[in-house]
Amino acid sequence: MQGPSIDFAGVNLALGNTRILEDVSFAVRAGSIHCIVGANGGGKTSLIRSLIGQMPHSGRIDIHWQDGRVTGYVPQSLDFDKSLPITVMDFMAMTSQRRPIFLGVPRPRRRLIEAALDRVGLNGKQRARLGSLSGGERQRVLFAQAMIPEPALLILDEPMTGLDLAGKGILEGAIRDFARAGGTVVWINHDIVQVNDIADAMTYIDRRVLLDGAPRDVLAGGAAAHLFPTLALPAQRADA
Amino acid sequence: MSSLYEIPRQYIIHLANTGVLHYTFGYAFVVNGFLCALVVGPLLGGIGTMVVAKRMAFFSQAVGNAALTGVAIGVIIGESYTAPYVSMFSFCLLFGLFLNFARNRTKMSSDTLIGVFLSISLAIGATALLWVSAKVNTHILDTVMFGSILTVNDTDITVLLVTTLLTGITALPLFNQMLLASLNPSLAHVRGVRVHLLEYVFVLLITILTVACVKIIGAVLVEALLLIPAAASRNLNRSIRGFVAWSVIFSTVSCLVGVYAPLRWDLPVPSGGAIILTGAAFFLVTMIIRMTVPRYREAAI
Repeated sequence: MQGPSIDFAGVNLALGNTRILEDVSFAVRAGSIHCIVGANGGGKTSLIRSLIGQMPHSGRIDIHWQDGRVTGYVPQSLDFDKSLPITVMDFMAMTSQRRPIFLGVPRPRRRLIEAALDRVGLNGKQRARLGSLSGGERQRVLFAQAMIPEPALLILDEPMTGLDLAGKGILEGAIRDFARAGGTVVWINHDIVQVNDIADAMTYIDRRVLLDGAPRDVLAGGAAAHLFPTLALPAQRADA
Repeated sequence: MSSLYEIPRQYIIHLANTGVLHYTFGYAFVVNGFLCALVVGPLLGGIGTMVVAKRMAFFSQAVGNAALTGVAIGVIIGESYTAPYVSMFSFCLLFGLFLNFARNRTKMSSDTLIGVFLSISLAIGATALLWVSAKVNTHILDTVMFGSILTVNDTDITVLLVTTLLTGITALPLFNQMLLASLNPSLAHVRGVRVHLLEYVFVLLITILTVACVKIIGAVLVEALLLIPAAASRNLNRSIRGFVAWSVIFSTVSCLVGVYAPLRWDLPVPSGGAIILTGAAFFLVTMIIRMTVPRYREAAI
């Protein structure tokens, strides 16, 4: 499986009088892990929502698909009433099957879902209520749903929020595996140490693109020291 | 179509006459009410789970109250007093669609917006009713607002059946998508769900249901039946399957009891009131179970 490459060319987005994105241009290589970083309110989520076609942006976003056209999307959170009687299995089935979930989940799909949950360390949680899971567990469920059906492009909106170390490790592993198998990952990530560790490329966005390139090069530059003043990355420590 | 209803109706009347069923079933209107209850109960219970899951209870209530204004307008423009379907449907539909449109276009929180729209609609309704009260006996309006199975005729049963079929055919294949859209619109969008379109479809369904159930439950109380059985079911269940199944059961039993009990024991309660009170009893019992039985208390956390 080979994931797509993506070209953002002169993407602009204005909502009312607020300019959210200004002339954003960069490229995501096929099969790479590309992290989007930047300050809160800098337009990262809006950029992602433009990418999935949910925002009235101008400019071009071209996704050059290769094998398959499936996008897996991991949202930042779910907005739902925690007491709602929805089990993890219900939720997983809801995202991927057309048959009303109260009529049941066919066995093959059930097995698929169980395998996906197993991969994020949630084996045995199928029958738990979604609202009774911890925030970190719910993040993992959100990740698991993005993997069915198998995507070529994975879009992640801060999937690590609220995760403990073990959870982070599991998701990191799954993301690495996915990219190694040829999938493309676009990932909003606040954890710059993790970006440095795992990403093939990063783009810093604050309304416009301020930095773009491989983390090692970007973070070693002078601009990065200004944007991440408290950062002590191996690359920078070596310089000092 | 009438002859189609005549077969089950005559059969049930026959059973009543031979003493198998209670003698009240010997009256055609009671049988009509029962047939309606059997159709509308499962439908409202099923759709109700969606209303609760989508947190649209207040919205539905507003659409129901808009029906009151619709009735008043209907009487003014000369529709039948007892079944002003066209005006009711048109007004509710305009109300629902415009409200949804405004909700999508403004950043206002939806309870504020619904509150504003509801007040406007009630003000128009109150004004219109003043005109209407000079024209007709207001007791006729009571039956439209709070339901009266005495007036259910074959046309009403047909309206109800067609509505049920339409709603079922539309809502069943869209159930998962609608639910997902309410949990996370972006995720639904990526999954190919047309989020905004579905919102309008849902508004349409609620409106059609409200109008179709007016005779048996009443315009003002229909929305309660969309809400109460689902709320009662939520108290006891952890999965969607149980949630939907129990909501359908509570709703159907409420409808049947609500139609039957006032006749059987000669209670001075309109069918709509009786149906909702039965549903409310289910809700209270499930709430007490949830608060006291440890197994369910765990589910409440």
